[in-house]
Amino acid sequence: MQEKLDRQQLSGDAVKVVSFHLGSEEYGVDISQVQEIIRMVAITHVPRAPHFMEGVINLRGQLIPIVDLRSRFGMPRAEHTKSTRIVVTEIGTKRVGIVVDSVSEVCNIPIESIEDAPEMIAGVGTEYIQGVGKIGARLIVLLDLTMVMSGEEKRQLEALEASPPAQ
Amino acid sequence: MSDDLFDRSEFVAYFRDETEDLLQEIDANLLQLENFVSSERVDPEIVNALFRGLHTIKGSAGMLQFGSIANLAHKLENLCDLLRKERMPLSEGCVDILFLGRDVLKDLVDAAIAGREGDTAGVEQVVERLDRFVAVYEETSQVIDGEVGPTHRFEEEAQAEIRAAGVAEIEAFEAEVARMLAAAEAARRDEPPAERVVPAETARAPEPEAAPAANAIEKPAGEQKHRANAHQTIRVDIERLDTLLNLVGELVINRTRISDIAETLDRSFGRKNGAADGSAGALVPLAKDLAESSALLARTTSEIQESIMKVRMVPIGQVFDRFPRVLRDIAKARHKEAELRISGADTDLDKTIVDEVGEPLMHLLRNCVDHGIELPEVRERLGKPRSGTIALNAYHEGNQIIIEVTDDGSGVDLERVRARAIKQGLISADDRLSDREIVELIFTPGFSTAEVISDVSGRGVGMDVVKKNITRLKGVFDVNTEAGVGTRFTIKLPLTLAIIQALLVRVADELYAIPLDSVIESQRVEMSEMRTVHGNEVITLRGQVVPLVRIAEVFELGGRRDPEKAMIVVVGLQGRQVGLVVDAFQGEQEIVIKPLSDVVGRIPGISGATILGNGAISLIIDVHSLVSEANVNGRVARAEYSGV
Repeated sequence: MQEKLDRQQLSGDAVKVVSFHLGSEEYGVDISQVQEIIRMVAITHVPRAPHFMEGVINLRGQLIPIVDLRSRFGMPRAEHTKSTRIVVTEIGTKRVGIVVDSVSEVCNIPIESIEDAPEMIAGVGTEYIQGVGKIGARLIVLLDLTMVMSGEEKRQLEALEASPPAQ
Repeated sequence: MSDDLFDRSEFVAYFRDETEDLLQEIDANLLQLENFVSSERVDPEIVNALFRGLHTIKGSAGMLQFGSIANLAHKLENLCDLLRKERMPLSEGCVDILFLGRDVLKDLVDAAIAGREGDTAGVEQVVERLDRFVAVYEETSQVIDGEVGPTHRFEEEAQAEIRAAGVAEIEAFEAEVARMLAAAEAARRDEPPAERVVPAETARAPEPEAAPAANAIEKPAGEQKHRANAHQTIRVDIERLDTLLNLVGELVINRTRISDIAETLDRSFGRKNGAADGSAGALVPLAKDLAESSALLARTTSEIQESIMKVRMVPIGQVFDRFPRVLRDIAKARHKEAELRISGADTDLDKTIVDEVGEPLMHLLRNCVDHGIELPEVRERLGKPRSGTIALNAYHEGNQIIIEVTDDGSGVDLERVRARAIKQGLISADDRLSDREIVELIFTPGFSTAEVISDVSGRGVGMDVVKKNITRLKGVFDVNTEAGVGTRFTIKLPLTLAIIQALLVRVADELYAIPLDSVIESQRVEMSEMRTVHGNEVITLRGQVVPLVRIAEVFELGGRRDPEKAMIVVVGLQGRQVGLVVDAFQGEQEIVIKPLSDVVGRIPGISGATILGNGAISLIIDVHSLVSEANVNGRVARAEYSGV
């Protein structure tokens, strides 16, 4: 864990994250991975895509896949509300939008107040978690987006491509 | 420091584009020049144009330290100078050596751009030939003697440069070049567009060969401008156009939003004109204004969108331009005479296709000369003109471009093709084939009627490759031939690969696009017309059993079946027909294809997506994989077997 944060430590004593809510929990992603945050737009469903793939949107003429983070983490899906947002992230060269219940703020989390992930966090596998930041009473689960988007998604996509035509 | 001033790669790219154009021009001019070989007079305009082109290449190459290119261009330029000053008569040998020199020059340029060493042996050979050729006339001419000096000096300079290729010196040179370029650029900008009215003679006035280096560098800049004025075009990276297109897409979405707002306002205030109280009353005219503006905005946006689409279209003449030269070379090599007649060179089609169609066309031309056009003596005996004619014709037909390559040669020798095919084991001697089927044999990979493999054609990688390339471009390739009269190859291509005509359909609240080229018909079918064969729904259309595929089911979209009727899109699939069941037809539309696979991975049944005018996304159905996904092939077979 400590190694992961070393890079960030070099750039300062705090990690800058965009924090958002999923259900009752608060999560954060490194701001350098966030390209923009947009309001909910019409999502075009893509048939036979992986279950957490909500569909695609048109972002200034570019097609962006949308991942429902709730179903990604095995939480029940939620109705889209006024506060639902799409966080457009850039992972490597790929742009992926993630649907979150609401976006709270951009906050600095001092390195010393980040702890390793506890064994169990509701629904979310620990491999996606970089650590847990504490700001006062708030606990912000820091996500490793690269893992979120790679791991299972990759396997699923590969399985999809390898599968023979349905009988 | 020099890096800031002189981005070499940018200049090399510029040099590549410029030189490509110039070499093309030189080629065209040489072809014209060749026509004058038999006559006494030479059109000085052509020689001057040649001279100018070579001079520009020399200047630019020298600037970028492409020594061998500059040297060869210089020698060729010298030769043109002799012609221009009428110190040397125009002869066939002279034109040939110019052609050869031009080709070697092109190789050198290609090599230099790729960062390779050119074929030095070949260059030396040409240079030597040029020197020998020119020497005869130079000895007899006092005036030209003076020009031998600079030739050698240029070489020496180049060699000296190579020898003393110290880093510091290169940097100094680059800085110097950058400074001069900046000066030239500044001069160009400050100068009023008077260039256009400068008499052509002034621009073409003979220049002393031993011009100082600065002149040699500044002149190309001047000439560049001259050419640009003549064409009134600019080069634009195609990626920039795509960016522009995307931005317009964004504009379209916002336009739709504004229209919505205007409509809402109009509904809220527009109708209660009389009863409006103070505050709402002021809004009435505003709402009206907004509605008008938004309508105007809508129109302008659509026009912009259309214009950008058109910018991607370029005239097919860009490809045709290099063919006269190709034809000349092949005809010469085969001891045949052939004339190329081009029409419809200004027919527009998408840049991507223009780039791809050149190779197949070139192959067809070669084939026409090699197998179509007879030897001049044979033609005379047959009562045809000695010189064969190959016509290259392009025109629009609906949403397609048609390119025809027609020759007045011997036509495809069916007997020979048949004999050859038997010999190569493609068919057996007992096979009875129609004439049409025999002609089709020439598209079989590996087929060749040529007894001797030539460098022109006959390697058996001919017509099948042409056909494959055309098919890849979603085109259709056809051949018509008549013994003794000639052959016509017809190529039908879509105007663009990125934009297709599609039928939009609604399935379970989503819009899907079905490429129109695979759609045969669409119609409403009553439930009573449907039958079931082995548990699969089919309908009978004009006596043919058409299995049905419910898109909603293949895509697992849910939704409920209409118990009374079904909307069916009949698509053609490898000679079979399959009916796709949809909820509703939403009309035809031109759509821009965007790949989806790099966004969400490959999904069977979906070939891509498109963004509609209102910003909504519609997925494009891949008819082939959709149907195989539904495993209809098996059903079709079963349905047909049961004889329904």
